[in-house]
Amino acid sequence: MVNPGYKHFKGEDWVDPTPPPAHLPTVDEVGCTGAPLKSASFFIGSMCKEYNEDFMLCKNETRDPEHCLLEGRKVTRCAIDALQKIQSKCLSEFRTHWQCLDSKNQELGRCRQQEKVLNQCLFAAFGWKKDVPGSPANKPQIHERKPLTS
Amino acid sequence: MPVPFESLIPFAIISGMFLVTGTGIQYAQNKRNEGKTVRYSVDDWDHKMMQRDKQLTGTLRGQVDAPVASEEFKVNSSWKVYESLRNDFA
Repeated sequence: MVNPGYKHFKGEDWVDPTPPPAHLPTVDEVGCTGAPLKSASFFIGSMCKEYNEDFMLCKNETRDPEHCLLEGRKVTRCAIDALQKIQSKCLSEFRTHWQCLDSKNQELGRCRQQEKVLNQCLFAAFGWKKDVPGSPANKPQIHERKPLTS
Repeated sequence: MPVPFESLIPFAIISGMFLVTGTGIQYAQNKRNEGKTVRYSVDDWDHKMMQRDKQLTGTLRGQVDAPVASEEFKVNSSWKVYESLRNDFA
């Protein structure tokens, strides 16, 4: 991308010449792009709930990036761990689901069939159930609703 | 007297123009989105996610699902270049 005022120096060619300070521990970054992340989002959320909440509360205190480096590293490692678990057992179902999402504007409601297959595979492998936090308890969850006209 | 063919030529020209614009739009959208459908209702979250995808894969619509990113991803962010793209702290 072209940053305003830097037409001569495109953003794609930018390489940061200043590495982080040596006293900070290094952490691998999450390598998934948008569609696989959205597909795995509820499972990452249920697995990494404590770390994510810690990080959000820490950020709530101050937006200074140095303040929350430790919590941020934990969040990244947990997300990587969740993705590795998903891909170890249910790789093909995961791929079908996020490829469907990619072609449907990343809307979860348009890929329910593939999502059902993925949820069944993950439940059989790890016992994980997709749960939408905040949904009313007396009604079926939105991904389990039967359509009125199929 | 039957319908003169000359009067139907404008209709043919008009439908031909519709075809040309339709094909042109399809071709342009296909080229820009690498064969996928167009992303619509792109809000700020999706826009920033697509920029992140560009850092990971090189194109706005490319997708990869490796759990761990390559080492280039740690240093190829261009958001540090421009002051106003950063969040303002304190």
